[in-house]
Amino acid sequence: MTHSLDSIVIGGGVVGTACAYYLARAGHKVCLVERSYLAAGSTGRCIGGIRAQFGTETTIRIMQESIRLFQGMKEELGTDIDWYAGGYLFVAESEERKKAFLKVMELQRQLGLDVRFISPEEAARLVPGLNTDGVVGAAYCPTDGQANPFAVTYGYARQVKARGGRVLTDTTIRSIERRNGNSMLATDKNERLSAPVVVAATGPWLKQTAAMVGLDVPVLAERHESLVTEGVGRLFDSMLVDYRGGGCYFHQHVRTGHLVGCYTPVPNVPGDRADSSFEFLCEMPRRMVNLMPKLAPLKVLRQWGGSYEMTPDGSPFVGSTPVEGFYLAGGMCGHGFMLAPAVGKLLAEIITTGKSSIDLAEFAFGRSFRYAELLR
Amino acid sequence: MPAETIACRCEDVSEAEIEAVLDEGFTSLEAVKRILRCGMGHCQGRTCRTTIARMIVRKTGRPLAEVLTVSSRPPLKPTPIGILASAKRKARA
Repeated sequence: MTHSLDSIVIGGGVVGTACAYYLARAGHKVCLVERSYLAAGSTGRCIGGIRAQFGTETTIRIMQESIRLFQGMKEELGTDIDWYAGGYLFVAESEERKKAFLKVMELQRQLGLDVRFISPEEAARLVPGLNTDGVVGAAYCPTDGQANPFAVTYGYARQVKARGGRVLTDTTIRSIERRNGNSMLATDKNERLSAPVVVAATGPWLKQTAAMVGLDVPVLAERHESLVTEGVGRLFDSMLVDYRGGGCYFHQHVRTGHLVGCYTPVPNVPGDRADSSFEFLCEMPRRMVNLMPKLAPLKVLRQWGGSYEMTPDGSPFVGSTPVEGFYLAGGMCGHGFMLAPAVGKLLAEIITTGKSSIDLAEFAFGRSFRYAELLR
Repeated sequence: MPAETIACRCEDVSEAEIEAVLDEGFTSLEAVKRILRCGMGHCQGRTCRTTIARMIVRKTGRPLAEVLTVSSRPPLKPTPIGILASAKRKARA
């Protein structure tokens, strides 16, 4: 049988559930389709960092909006999402890095972001036990923070259901056909869904989803890895981003006290693999004790892998496509969780009113790839 | 099992809390783990996994083998950061 809807969202990660939530809030009859369980892809593998310290105007503006939404999300969704404004601290290990930070900081401050360059002593005060060898300072933004990706995703999904929307898990879309201004989606459960609006929010699989309507979207998955330690009492508040010795970043979960972190592998590991490596299990701890020697006795509980979905310029695709009624919300380049609230809100504005309150030209599908994200 | 029985000791989750999530329609170990953190604590699910899987079997009638889906991830047991960090250096030497 065919279900007629106002919009269909493909992908049950944080981006898809956020889009479905804001569409439902705008009065749409929505159906979200997820081929596995909610947060089974990149969302469930992300460590929950949230920052507005970016290098391009659109991303900074969108992240300022996202942070505003995270701040009020407990009330909005009626569930605690573990939002905590612990800040983000980028350690500068060279004069060159400092110069790069100061340059993006000009733009960030112009846009009203409370970001500053602090001395190594101040960094060590904020992060007791921080190894400041060779550190010339740090970029610090106290309004950045963290939240719980699972709580946010399930929070959005529950609100979609509460507003009469459907959330189909363990359901795969087999085909998408365009007919008289509608998209007809066939599921593997012999259901047909029909709607004028389809949002593809399938993360590392965006390319394959878009190919079903004949679009070629340049998004490629790369494997990143993470690990989590046992929970301990509060050690520090910020996300720490270090570039020394190959680099790494980690923070401490505000409620559980677990430390959770990653690094960017060099060279990159292409493909949508979610396996984990022994190399990472040893290398990440080495980088963590370099940054903070007192972490040595902390026990690692678990490691895992997941995808960053990369675009040619480091910015996502959010908005319409040449296929009428077919929208993209993907290619988040490792920032899907933090971008999701604003992306969901703005895309719903585009779909329901024709324009968004923040200009998304930088994220347009047809853009030329001349921007490059400076803060990876 | 009384409702207040703790099914996941690491994260302090009761049978009633799990039952409520199953009633809501989230009937996989993966979803229960992500909503309630069962399996993410110190024992990594070694204690609670089978208990919760059996609750899902009771609720859905699906076979246990089909329900016990979560991956066990390395390391095999909690291992100090300092030990892992030095293991790498030896491997390189």
